Amino acid sequence: MNKMNRSFIIGSILVSIFVLMAVVASFWTPHGYQEVIENAALLKPSLLYFFGTDDLGRDTFSRILVGAQFSLGIGLLVGGLAILIGASMGVAAAYYGGKVDSLSVQVMNAIQAMPSLLLALFVVAILGPGVINTILSVTLVSIPTMFRLVRSAAQIEMSKDYITSARALGASDWRIIKSHLFPNCLTPLFVQSAVCCSEAILNTAALGFLGLGIPAPYPEWGTMLSDSKNFIETAPHLMTIPGLCLLLLILGMQLVSDGLRDQMDPKLRNR
Amino acid sequence: MALAPKVLKLFLSFLFISLMSFSIIRLIPGDPVQNIIGERGASEERIQDIKKSLGLDKSVPEQFFIFVTNAVRGEFGESIVSKQPIWSEFKVLWPATFELALLAILWSSVAGLLLGILAAIKRDSIWDYGAVTLSTIGFAMPIFWWGLLVIFFFAVSLGWFPVSGRINVEYDIPYRTGLLLIDSLLSGTSGAFLSALKHMVLPAFVLGTVSLAFIVRVTRSSFIDIQKEDYVRTARAKGLKSSQVIFKHIFKNSLPQILTALGLSFGQLLTGAIMTETIFSWPGLGRWLVKSIEARDYPAVQAGVFYSMVIIVLINFFTDELIKLANPKMRDQAL
Repeated sequence: MNKMNRSFIIGSILVSIFVLMAVVASFWTPHGYQEVIENAALLKPSLLYFFGTDDLGRDTFSRILVGAQFSLGIGLLVGGLAILIGASMGVAAAYYGGKVDSLSVQVMNAIQAMPSLLLALFVVAILGPGVINTILSVTLVSIPTMFRLVRSAAQIEMSKDYITSARALGASDWRIIKSHLFPNCLTPLFVQSAVCCSEAILNTAALGFLGLGIPAPYPEWGTMLSDSKNFIETAPHLMTIPGLCLLLLILGMQLVSDGLRDQMDPKLRNR
Repeated sequence: MALAPKVLKLFLSFLFISLMSFSIIRLIPGDPVQNIIGERGASEERIQDIKKSLGLDKSVPEQFFIFVTNAVRGEFGESIVSKQPIWSEFKVLWPATFELALLAILWSSVAGLLLGILAAIKRDSIWDYGAVTLSTIGFAMPIFWWGLLVIFFFAVSLGWFPVSGRINVEYDIPYRTGLLLIDSLLSGTSGAFLSALKHMVLPAFVLGTVSLAFIVRVTRSSFIDIQKEDYVRTARAKGLKSSQVIFKHIFKNSLPQILTALGLSFGQLLTGAIMTETIFSWPGLGRWLVKSIEARDYPAVQAGVFYSMVIIVLINFFTDELIKLANPKMRDQAL
């Protein structure tokens, strides 16, 4: 078994576990994620409560399951939005060139001038915390990577003969972009999309940890970690489990992306 | 390369930064004055006062001009929360972050270089697999969780290090450089230096971990690439000692890539500092920024945007120059 298979398989298994968790959570959880169980605050993990309970007496296992929905949902949504916006801007910049190109490159440079979490923080500072604003700010910081990737791939395609011949045949701009340029830029996009999702999940959790992300009643893993800070001595399981889930999910997505990249670019295979 | 274009580029960056931090207070939905007054309401006179103190009673270009001239002098007005001039807060907080970041980048670059070189030289050995696994996990590790784990093991369970703060409360160190490790030595109080050092170990360790993963990966892969070059084979064939080949030929040539990685990790370090300082209650810029954002302290946020972007631009500038020093081929390239 070569190395690409290994990281791809481990990564897919990890991601599948969390997808399964999110799917299960939409049908069934042992308790409601907001349900306060009486006389059950800060219980250790047991057969009754797999991951214990938090300071208010809510079942951590149920909250982790629902949290998987949040993290995966936001990751996929942000990834999808960033790909949609970044890729269409990238293709347009490469196809039209000139002023369109230099203007969009300038805008992307401006966004990338700051570390992504810092920028997301500032956007939240301006808009105020909340689910939608978190998604907006995390999307904004994910767009430039996608834009650059697609733009450079599309620029390479633009110089090839088949584009010229498509033009000579009288194909419209839209047709060339849709059926020639875009499909040929999909490979790098595909590889990067898993990384983009994992970064979105990490940034969302980081915002949540700082108390500026998904607001309180929702069981987002970063917010749960932030709540666990005060019980680090009495109930360490509150801190261990959401963090471990985050690490494994992000690790899984990055391994999937590594595996895909190695598979598609044989030159890198033996790195 | 001539100096003028570089200075012009820096100047343009600063102008752009000013424009961005200037716009922030104006992008806030709703009236910033209303936000400051809150729900209790205020008299017409008070509203005019606040408008005046924020400079909102003048035209926009005029406001921008005033903002830039003040920014050049480091004046961003008063913090709404603490009522202190922002510059005087910044002056105390900045050295704390700087000290932490410096220590973090020092240990992570030394450890990262050693580990990366070791992994590349002993390719496919247990060292290599260890380094690759470590850096893969380090990349995926949420730094805030890592911080909590480190606190749990080394501070709570083992009790080796303090959980938070910069120094024990009994020490009152006079402010000289702002760098507590130096100030505590200068003060001559016995035990103060040790206390400051003990407080610093865990945050610096946590903050450096993310850059460590990055530096290991870049060092390893650039070493592996350069090992395949013809001149390395020639150097080996000439019978040079392997230490000479490694440091004179391979290391020197992989330096530009490693420096780029170091420059990038400084940016990450700034983000990491926000997290690390929040976890360890470290009285630095990052925690101040988060607190200001939470309290909607707009002048402070504005100053925070400005300062952090200035720091990033300067770091990028100096890394570029360092890379040119390390790689003569890049010196004459137009940017």
